[in-house]
Amino acid sequence: MPAIVVEGLERAFDEVLAVQGIEIAVEEGEIYGFLGPNGAGKTTTVRMLTTLLLPTGGRATVAGHDVVKEARAVRSSIGVALQEAALDPLMTGRELIRLQATLQGIPTAEGRQRADDLLERVDLVAAADRRVGTYSGGMQRRLDLAAALVHEPRVLFLDEPTTGLDPVSRKTIWEEVRALNDDGTTVFLTTQYLEEADQLADNVGIIDSGRIVAEGTPESLKAEIGNPHIQLQLAAGSVTEAESILAPIGKLLPPKDGRKVLVEVENGAADIPRVVRALDEAGIAVEALELVKPTLDDVFVEKTGYHLEEEGEESAEGAPVEA
Amino acid sequence: MEAAVALPAWRTNLATIGALMARAKNELIRVPGAAIPGVLAPTIFFLGLNGVFGALTQLNGFSTGSYESFIVPVSMLQGAGFTGAAAGVNLARDIEQGWLDRLLVSPAPRWVLLAGTVLAASARSLIPATFVFAIALALGAGWPGLDGLLVTFVMVAAMAAVAACWGAFLALRFRSQSAAPLMQAGMMALILTTTAYAPLALLQGWLQDIARVNPVTDVVEAARQGFVGGVTWAATWPGLMALIGMLVLLGALALREMRRMGR
Amino acid sequence: MSALATNVRVVRALGMRSIRQTFRRPQLIAPIIVFPTLLLAIQTGGAGGAVELPGFPPVQSFLQFMLAGAMMQSLMLAGNSGGIALAVDIEMGFTDRLFSAPIPRFAIVLGRLAGTAALGLFSALWFLAIGLVFGAEIESGVPGALLAIVLVTAAAMAVGGIGAAIALRTGSASVVQGLFPLVLVVLFISSAFFPQELMIEPAKTIAEYNPLSFIAEGVREPMISGIDAADTLYAVLAILGIVVFGLVLSAFALRHRLRVG
Repeated sequence: MPAIVVEGLERAFDEVLAVQGIEIAVEEGEIYGFLGPNGAGKTTTVRMLTTLLLPTGGRATVAGHDVVKEARAVRSSIGVALQEAALDPLMTGRELIRLQATLQGIPTAEGRQRADDLLERVDLVAAADRRVGTYSGGMQRRLDLAAALVHEPRVLFLDEPTTGLDPVSRKTIWEEVRALNDDGTTVFLTTQYLEEADQLADNVGIIDSGRIVAEGTPESLKAEIGNPHIQLQLAAGSVTEAESILAPIGKLLPPKDGRKVLVEVENGAADIPRVVRALDEAGIAVEALELVKPTLDDVFVEKTGYHLEEEGEESAEGAPVEA
Repeated sequence: MEAAVALPAWRTNLATIGALMARAKNELIRVPGAAIPGVLAPTIFFLGLNGVFGALTQLNGFSTGSYESFIVPVSMLQGAGFTGAAAGVNLARDIEQGWLDRLLVSPAPRWVLLAGTVLAASARSLIPATFVFAIALALGAGWPGLDGLLVTFVMVAAMAAVAACWGAFLALRFRSQSAAPLMQAGMMALILTTTAYAPLALLQGWLQDIARVNPVTDVVEAARQGFVGGVTWAATWPGLMALIGMLVLLGALALREMRRMGR
Repeated sequence: MSALATNVRVVRALGMRSIRQTFRRPQLIAPIIVFPTLLLAIQTGGAGGAVELPGFPPVQSFLQFMLAGAMMQSLMLAGNSGGIALAVDIEMGFTDRLFSAPIPRFAIVLGRLAGTAALGLFSALWFLAIGLVFGAEIESGVPGALLAIVLVTAAAMAVGGIGAAIALRTGSASVVQGLFPLVLVVLFISSAFFPQELMIEPAKTIAEYNPLSFIAEGVREPMISGIDAADTLYAVLAILGIVVFGLVLSAFALRHRLRVG
């Protein structure tokens, strides 16, 4: 039976509909990626599914319980790691996990044992008795994740688990999520990083402005788009001319910055010579050329008309290298 | 899923309240100097009021010649009010920083979460109360007797709980630490518009009227008993009733707001 | 002459900024006015029987006596908040900009204190109004009221000078804010709230020499009896003493700041 069922879920804040009529079904043991830009409604949706926020319309069941009518049962069945890691800087990591165990109704001795196990699992044993305020961002996320697992929940909610982390910490979290999933935990994660959705998720829901604009496996979504595109880096000032030359050859896509032209072609690599020749004949110098296969960003552009990420944002996003 | 060995709900709730109180003590123990403001404020008031208005005991109507004895229970209650309001500020901070989400997402009942905050404040109020009491004794306040002392400290702890409910109510309502002055001022006004400075007969008209209807007047009188005379049940139970009444009212308001988080 | 004109313009500009800042955010003024007003009401109501005490100066009402104390509280809090505002400016780097301009240092501090003076003025007017509303007359009439206003405003600036010195030395708003309890302490050991002769030791002796006592009495006498030259003189001297103290502290603090950067 599905781990999460969402039907016509809505949330209005005063006049604004942050989430409008979304439908989701997540099977047990699945990793579901909720992908969208900031402000799309991801966090609002997660807060509704984790009983922190009341929907203003529609319904949802998590682990077989209605989020509104059986909130308490839902809370016993889910683990949550929110975007703002809800940590107390004055507590130690060990104390936090033990507190979480108590909150979940786990007897003291067993809670201690589980805390020890989890700290080892997320590699925080050395820092376990230091105050959380001394932890790096990556360590805090790992701790948050460990705490969310203390009661062995059936469904795990991760709201932007790697935002602000450096690439190494990000990979660590990904590995942990995969390991959890291998053990049978259903994972509902939200992200603004398409690589994360691509890598981790079995199913992806793309959300924009409160609506789901596309849903499916990463492969099926990309296959829908079909065609790869050629990315050309041109000399400054030649973009407009180049675009008018290439318009008859392929479909122009919105450029990511002022010196690149993106054109979608039907025959992939085979169309490269055509493109190069056309530009050459017009005397436009091409500084770099790349054949780019469809990504989830392309899916996003197709559905919404704008990019999910600016190019190079991934690396710019990184936090200082974590300890 | 659920815990491997399911505990009866009351044991889980008790353990949760204990864990939340243990967390609350961290601020006192792990932040150097955190306890000082809570102790300093009532002490300054005690010493200051005593130095300034001490001569009032010469007036007819005072049953004691020692103003220290007269106002030390007020200062102890002020400390309780301050401590409870501080608990409200901490809760507001927890809300702002997202910590409360962790508690709200857990299966712990809302009243348990509130109880953790309130009982922690009660326990914490014993610190400034003891300090002010010690200073008062050193300055010549009369020994209230063990029964008087017990009554006073019970009043203090309960007053702190009342103040914590008030602070929690504001914190949950406004979800911001900027409500802090209202938490503090509210309690100060409540405690001082009583027979704090002088017996009822000597209060000026308007303050006398307020003090008559203010439930905290009964609390002040009950807490003061041992210091100015003997302890009787007749003078104690109105204070207890007042505290219970305020706890029920403010506690209900705070619980209602806690339940409405996210609504 | 032109240098003087420039300085005046600078002080005026900084002063206007300081005054605007002060009154633009009512939630910051409120504690400075509301808290002393509350305390005034409660203490007048609670300790009002004091007028019956042998040795209590003849007054029309206890409120009449207490108005000066409320003004003292307000002006102390105003001085404290002036210090906080300067500390915030320092933390934000605004003062660095001023220091690197060809403006004499004292003009900067003076400009800041304009806000404090305005607050002092406001509180004096506020409590005079409260007195009027609740039936406390100023015995010496308008001249007495004016004298009180002048003394309170000047005292606010003087205290503000000390707050500014602390701000300059520590550069931290939270340190200056932490001194707020000290305000109450220092007032409790003065005759701001009660006649000095009737206070209890050791506060009584301290109050006898506390400069704040002289200021409080200088403000109070015109209200409860009449303008007395000696009282007024002592008040002015006390204010000057605080000013000098503040200037000395500020000088040291500035030197430290410019050395440390």
